[in-house]
Amino acid sequence: MDNYAVEMLGITKIFNGVKANDAIDFRLRPGSIHGLLGENGAGKTTLMNILYGLYRQEEGIIKINGKQENIDSPTKAISLGIGMVHQHFMLARPLTVVENVMLGHKSRRGILLDTKETAEELKDLSDHYHMGIDPYTKIYQLSVGEQQRVEILTAIYMGAEILILDEPTAVLTPQETEEFFHTLREMRKDGKSIVLITHKLEEIAALVDEVTVLRDGKMIGTRRAEGITKEELTRMMVGRDVMFNFPPLAEMNLGVKLSIRDLTAVNDRGVPSLNGFSLDIHGGEIVGLAGVDGNGQNELCEVLTGLRKETGGSIFLDGEDVSGKTPRFYIDKKVSYIPEDRHTTGLAMNWNLKKNMILKAIGSKRFMKGGLMNEKLITQNWDTARDEYQIKAIDGDEKARALSGGNQQKLILARELNADPDVLIANQPTRGLDIGASEYVRQKLIESRNGGAAVLVVSADLEEIMQVSDRIAVIYGGRLMGILPRGADVYEIGSLMMGKRQEELAHE
Amino acid sequence: MNKKFRDSLINLGETLAMLVLALLVGALMVKISGNDPLEAYSAMLTGAFGKNPLKSQMKIYELLVKVIPLMMVAFAMSIAFKAQLWNIGAGGQFVMGSIASTAVALYVPVPIPFRIALSLAAAIAAGAFWGWLAGWLKVRFNANEVITTLMLSYIANCILLWLINGPMQDPYSDLTQSDVIPEAMFLPRLIGNYRLHSGIFILVFVAVVMCFFWKTPLGYQIELVGQGRKVATYSGANVDRTIQTAMLISGGLAGLAGWIEMFGILHRLFPDIASNYGDISNIIALLGGLNPYGIIASSFFFAVLINGGSSMNRMTNVPYSIVDVIQGLIIIFVIAKVILHRKNSSAAVKKSK
Ligand SMILES: Nc1ncnc2c1ncn2[C@@H]1O[C@H](COP(=O)(O)OP(=O)(O)OP(=O)(O)O)[C@@H](O)[C@H]1O
Ligand SMILES: [Mg+2]
Repeated sequence: MDNYAVEMLGITKIFNGVKANDAIDFRLRPGSIHGLLGENGAGKTTLMNILYGLYRQEEGIIKINGKQENIDSPTKAISLGIGMVHQHFMLARPLTVVENVMLGHKSRRGILLDTKETAEELKDLSDHYHMGIDPYTKIYQLSVGEQQRVEILTAIYMGAEILILDEPTAVLTPQETEEFFHTLREMRKDGKSIVLITHKLEEIAALVDEVTVLRDGKMIGTRRAEGITKEELTRMMVGRDVMFNFPPLAEMNLGVKLSIRDLTAVNDRGVPSLNGFSLDIHGGEIVGLAGVDGNGQNELCEVLTGLRKETGGSIFLDGEDVSGKTPRFYIDKKVSYIPEDRHTTGLAMNWNLKKNMILKAIGSKRFMKGGLMNEKLITQNWDTARDEYQIKAIDGDEKARALSGGNQQKLILARELNADPDVLIANQPTRGLDIGASEYVRQKLIESRNGGAAVLVVSADLEEIMQVSDRIAVIYGGRLMGILPRGADVYEIGSLMMGKRQEELAHE
Repeated sequence: MNKKFRDSLINLGETLAMLVLALLVGALMVKISGNDPLEAYSAMLTGAFGKNPLKSQMKIYELLVKVIPLMMVAFAMSIAFKAQLWNIGAGGQFVMGSIASTAVALYVPVPIPFRIALSLAAAIAAGAFWGWLAGWLKVRFNANEVITTLMLSYIANCILLWLINGPMQDPYSDLTQSDVIPEAMFLPRLIGNYRLHSGIFILVFVAVVMCFFWKTPLGYQIELVGQGRKVATYSGANVDRTIQTAMLISGGLAGLAGWIEMFGILHRLFPDIASNYGDISNIIALLGGLNPYGIIASSFFFAVLINGGSSMNRMTNVPYSIVDVIQGLIIIFVIAKVILHRKNSSAAVKKSK
């Protein structure tokens, strides 16, 4: 009988009477990478939070290296050599990498904090795994990908032999993902055991040894990853086949709807992040905006929805100069916005789901009766949205924070698309969504386009951009590097993303 | 609907448990101080309700008299609190309302009915202005409202002291108080010579309005701003304006409470007219979970505690400060509950994705 690094047996976790995990058996072999797959709300994060001591299971036992353990806190988990990297990083931004590492955990050797020594050890670890992290940089100066590496580095430094990664690649560019996989393979070579939660099936084939699939809180099965097909995995996850194909987009020409001219803006730290960006988007067209995270995409979206004031340039909507208008103005002009940051911008986390569905319609006649917001109308609205967008929730009275990540995203989508937008700005619309839901969202974006809306899709996922876009615009350093037609070459897009101009490419 | 109902039952249960716990710890204190807790609490109850509640009408009327300012100020605070604006200076807004309305009553030579209307408007306007100032300071200079409302409250009390020592001092005595307002302007008493006055109708009206307020678009808007600046802005709310509006209404209600107290009970200005309504109502609002029904219930609870406490003080060896202790405990429990809930629901979820 061989020992497992982790054995979770008969794990059941109940939230408000709903089984998020239902008698799940999960076994992780030492020195392997184990994929954890499932649709949104299947219970992946919950299961791993239990292993990491954040939640207590109602039933079931956990064995670490063959020994039954009672993991009642993350501290306990860490002492057992378990590390977890959540999708939302929890680093103190004004501090340096080494300070962050020491902050939570003092020093492994006692009360004395030895910055220099710790920094050196971190540097060694970072070099060993090709992470390229300088322990003395401040967190806010790091890209998202680098921050994630810091989190992993911290976990390893703390002595993690079992590493849980919750959707780590959702925020990475294709290049970063490659490097990241390289790091993970090195770790496997060193005997570490890794759980990788993901929605991307290619990653299973590329990296993983075994894969476990959850559906509706139940375990469907564990398979060797070798030779398993996308279709098989999808069937296990969804319980049916999912269409992957998209019909070619029918030509529409409705004229320029949204026109962006020489836009400049600064980010939250006052650093210029849009440097004269120009772009026209036509009605009935999806423009995909490709670019490495942090090149001005977020600022662009915010300026286009009135959430950030531009420092120069102008925006025209149907030919009218709308620069400097308020968010309300854009909402009334039927500009819908799916923000990247759903936790503090897209949702009121402590409000219930019904109310979150009408965030932008407070005071709208549609939901009022006799001068008051009408509970019944609001509930009806929620019920329809839940059914149409298949949001997994109890009854709409629970808080938004009780939803799984993917279902939160679906709620935002439902709200923004139900407003029947003329212009739709979608920033990372499928981040954190399972394949079924992602396809559905893309379908919806295209429906919106076919209905005549001008759509801007910002995504770190190149494949997604190529799938839905009529034209592909590439942003780098807050400038437009070039516009490519549908069906353009990935490498060409990639080069533009790295800052080469289209003209330069032509000369090569 | 079902779950909602269950949640509010759980919430109610937790609140009751908190109160019981506070009273138990209070009993322990009484015991330690060498007195009999049972005797103390029964003295408190008879103090609040009389020996035979059916016969001692006076006690009941006195409870209502106490409930009026407490509940009004608690409503006032709840409006700001919902927007996460910690208007702890409602006492100051109450004082400004009292001053303005008394000044109108004493010095504006128009016929009495007009003067009443004018004084009412002046009270609301003065309270509203005082509350709005804190809102404006927050929006304009990002000044923390906990500090500004507290400071403005001190200033209001200083203005009051200056006025009743100077320009508005009672011409017929040397006391630091103002002249009595014309008797024709008193809020009429309802039953014989008992102090219960018609201000209670205004309270009932306000309570009814409050039960609907959180369903109005404005109520939603205020609550939304309390959910965070980012999400409120994203949703199209004008956050700065809503902050000022919430403080304006909050202050206006506190000013109205001042008017009722002035014309119903006090009839003249003197130091400390706001008593400690500001502090107690703060606890009432939080204990009631900012919910109108919760506030109504907690107001009665505190009225019993206060009225009962002072007569317990007279009838037994137990000092009134035991009431303060119980209040303090309730504050601690309310805060503990909020923190616990946050820990349970958010911490884990926030950490996950
Ligand atoms: N703290 C909580 N309170 C109430 N319900 C919760 C809580 N956390 C998770 N749930 C519920 O448990 C179920 C599983 O959620 P979980 O976050 O584990 O899903 P997931 O598989 O990670 O999905 P996703 O891919 O969308 O992140 C969901 O239905 C969710 O609504
Ligand atoms: Mg998850």
